[in-house]
Amino acid sequence: MTSNIILPILQLIVIVGFSPLVKGFINKIEARLQSRRGASIFQPYYNLVKLLQKDAVVSETSSWIFRATPYVTFVSILIISLIVPVLSVKVPLNFTGDIILIIYLFALARFFLVLSSLDTGSAFGGMGGSREMMVSSMAEPAMILSLFAVALTADSTNLSNITNTLLNDSILLLNPSLLLAFAALGVVIIAEAGRIPVDNPYTHLELTMIHEGMLLEFSGRYLALAEWASSMKLLVLLTILVNIFLPWGIADGLAFSGLIIAFALYVVKIGFFAFVIVIVEMSFAKLRLFRIPNLLGTAFILSILAIISLYVVR
Amino acid sequence: MAEHLFVISVLLYATGALLALCFFKWQKAGNFISLVFAAIASCFSITTAVILLSNGATVRLNFSLYHAIIKYNFLLDPVSSYFILAISSISFVAAIYSIGYTRLYINKRDTRFLGFLYNLFLVSMLLVVTANNALVFMIVWELMTIVSFFLVIYEHENPANMKAGFIYIIMAHIGSALLAVAFFIMFAHVGTWDFGFDDFRKVGGRMPEVYKNVVFFLVIIGFGIKAGIFPLHLWLPMAHPAAPTNVSMVMSGVMIKTAIYGFIRFYFEFLSPCPPWWGVVILIIGATSALLGILYALVEKDIKTLLAYSSIENNGLIIICIGLSMIFKSYNLIALSSLAMIAGLYHLVNHAVFKSLLFGCAGNVYYATHTKNIDDLGGLIKRMQITAPLFLVGVLSISAIPPLNGFVSEWFVFQSLLNGFTMPSVIIKIITIICGAVVALTGALVATCFVKAFGISFLAMPRTEHAKHAKEVPVVMYVSMGLLAVLCVFMGLFPAKIMMTVNHVNTHVLGIDIVNSLTSYDWLQMKIVRTNFTQLSPKSAFVFGLILLGITFGALTLIRPGFARKFYETWTCGRSPEPRLEYTATAFTRPFKTVFANLYRPQREVSMVYTVPKFFVKSISYVSEVSPIFEKYFYGPVSQFVLDISNKVRWVHTGSIHIYLTYIFITLIILIIFVGK
Repeated sequence: MTSNIILPILQLIVIVGFSPLVKGFINKIEARLQSRRGASIFQPYYNLVKLLQKDAVVSETSSWIFRATPYVTFVSILIISLIVPVLSVKVPLNFTGDIILIIYLFALARFFLVLSSLDTGSAFGGMGGSREMMVSSMAEPAMILSLFAVALTADSTNLSNITNTLLNDSILLLNPSLLLAFAALGVVIIAEAGRIPVDNPYTHLELTMIHEGMLLEFSGRYLALAEWASSMKLLVLLTILVNIFLPWGIADGLAFSGLIIAFALYVVKIGFFAFVIVIVEMSFAKLRLFRIPNLLGTAFILSILAIISLYVVR
Repeated sequence: MAEHLFVISVLLYATGALLALCFFKWQKAGNFISLVFAAIASCFSITTAVILLSNGATVRLNFSLYHAIIKYNFLLDPVSSYFILAISSISFVAAIYSIGYTRLYINKRDTRFLGFLYNLFLVSMLLVVTANNALVFMIVWELMTIVSFFLVIYEHENPANMKAGFIYIIMAHIGSALLAVAFFIMFAHVGTWDFGFDDFRKVGGRMPEVYKNVVFFLVIIGFGIKAGIFPLHLWLPMAHPAAPTNVSMVMSGVMIKTAIYGFIRFYFEFLSPCPPWWGVVILIIGATSALLGILYALVEKDIKTLLAYSSIENNGLIIICIGLSMIFKSYNLIALSSLAMIAGLYHLVNHAVFKSLLFGCAGNVYYATHTKNIDDLGGLIKRMQITAPLFLVGVLSISAIPPLNGFVSEWFVFQSLLNGFTMPSVIIKIITIICGAVVALTGALVATCFVKAFGISFLAMPRTEHAKHAKEVPVVMYVSMGLLAVLCVFMGLFPAKIMMTVNHVNTHVLGIDIVNSLTSYDWLQMKIVRTNFTQLSPKSAFVFGLILLGITFGALTLIRPGFARKFYETWTCGRSPEPRLEYTATAFTRPFKTVFANLYRPQREVSMVYTVPKFFVKSISYVSEVSPIFEKYFYGPVSQFVLDISNKVRWVHTGSIHIYLTYIFITLIILIIFVGK
């Protein structure tokens, strides 16, 4: 019974609590690599605290959809963070769903965000929303298929089972199809999380913005929730990547020592991938909007190849 | 018991139809009475279906007329009952909805004729899915086609509607003709004279391979036209928007599903056992229709045309499931075949519900604004405060967003596609996974398409006067749509209940009961659904979502108890916000036109009028069109060919009666020679 309570709380603390840190970490490292001092690694927390204490200005044109969106987005990512294995192979809401539910919960969050971007009647919002839908409709199939390649290898679409299988049978990870799936998922995560070269998270310039364009009209608590949700999304995606492809060290029960080791390794792994994101952002310029489908198309093809090679190898 | 209810229901429909015609002077009353009769009749048929499905019973109805050539046999087995349930539930809602919607036509048109046709249309669909004799089937199939044709051209003064109706009736008749040929080929191998479906059920093993294949293709095209599969879809996006909305609701929601019924009857009963490649053909057709359907829906601005294209997409998804089920069955993987069938039939009833809901709400919008163009709407969420959330529910369902019903069937579709890895053939495995990719892409595009449909028409500021002066529609119109929205939520949260129903169909068609291996209880003491791969409990996810929402809200309130909102105009770089600054549907899908330019071949034309040459622009006109490649490269040449042929054979028609008599004489001689042999 205690496990039913401890585990969800633990997962929520990790995902909700540490997600701004990941963002701060990425910003800091990036600044250092660009020979800037950069803001403190805790800056995202300061921002959130500040925003949460403020009132909000809401557009007259907008409707209840606009006001509901931050909650819907935030809560749908919260649910996902309870379906994803984080520190332990055991997952609190294991019975509620699988990777398909996760993908469609992301879709729920995105759906409302795009609606709210149209709701304010500003051209920037619509532009962001339209582009977000374009990027995501290319990214989502690649994501589904690369996760399916993993699911077929592990004979389950349930993330907890997948992690468990791959943990106990690590030789499967050397399967060429999983390497392809890994590559595809990597590209998709960059696109879904709105990082360079797909989207530029640092700017509100109309030429480059996608995700930020949709957040333009939010303020106060609403902006805090939306920002927090987007950093949680990044961490959840990285967690999925880490726990599928590098599951070593994840606890297989709820023993305290196991969880500590798992947490330490989790921090290292997430830190590593955050660093990879920094390197990618440093090395590429943002792609032109209509080049993005090529990139995501490549991910899509990679993920199809992942499954085909799985069938052929079998 | 059930059979009596069914007969009563059919009689009530017929009475409603005839009563409508009786009211010469009081058209309003005639229309009203016919719709009330339709609603009551559909209650009876819903009861019939529920009774039959609850115990999986089969009932036969034989009307023996004295010396009849045609044997009027009807069969209410679980397959029929399932379709009756879907059809009559939608009919019930549609009948109530029509009471409000037909006010648009009162004193303008002959509404009693509308009531007459409407009742006939609803009853003809019921008869199609119950007919147990090929001749009866063809008669009622034809009745359905013709009645729906008249409904399509109800607003006949508009030439576009006449054209739509014309194309519909021609294509539908090509389909019927092919079906008739299919029936005759099968009939030749039956050996009895009464064209009963019961005889056809035994013919599958007896027919030579070649004939079976011919029948297979005839049936694909014959029913495929009704189902709107690509490239036989031409009539669908024309006819569905042309019909009055209460009709297009039924046409899109359930009429096109009768084709699926046909597929199930033919491929799982008459022609069974099927070779695996049949299933593959069906699978590929389904995937193509799904993807192309949504791609065309995406760039559509007319909300009803958009919904019609999306019907093609959804029918494609159902056909994918039927194809998968056929492949699994031909490899004797009956449990998986049943899983795919559950996915298909679940999606069928889901689509019936949310598409009727969406059409209904589009009808509400039309009722309030008299326009179907999304780009002319906007801001309706504040003016139509009940229709807007209802439309949102439909939009979320169709985009397969949890916790609504579309998600559950999408989940089943993915699960059955994933199980494709159990098939022995590598090629077919790869085809299944490519179909999986198509379904995934389709799913993402559906979300885009319906974000656009809802976002542009309901949110932000009204773009035209029409939208500005919109008012909420009469009560019956949104109450009936509310019923459908509730159904969407219910079927999304409690999938196990629907599966029990589908299970009877599966047990009947495939002879296997897999629901017990598919469901179990979770610790909220509700059934959850699981497959070989995983499990799903949308309702638990929903409950936890609510809990987390409560926690979030509570925490935020603790942080800042006196949270207040200030309303201010949107920042538009110093100008005051106006509708012209808003994104339009055209703009929203503009990136997609570029990405899929190979398919759309968009044609844009920008022309400017200057006051002072080259410096001050007076007006800009922008025309953007998507080239209809199917019309251009498929239908154009075909119809040209037909016209050429008819031109060439015109010399036969001399107009001289002597020549015609000679023709008759020659025909007679040829016939005598043949008979003499």
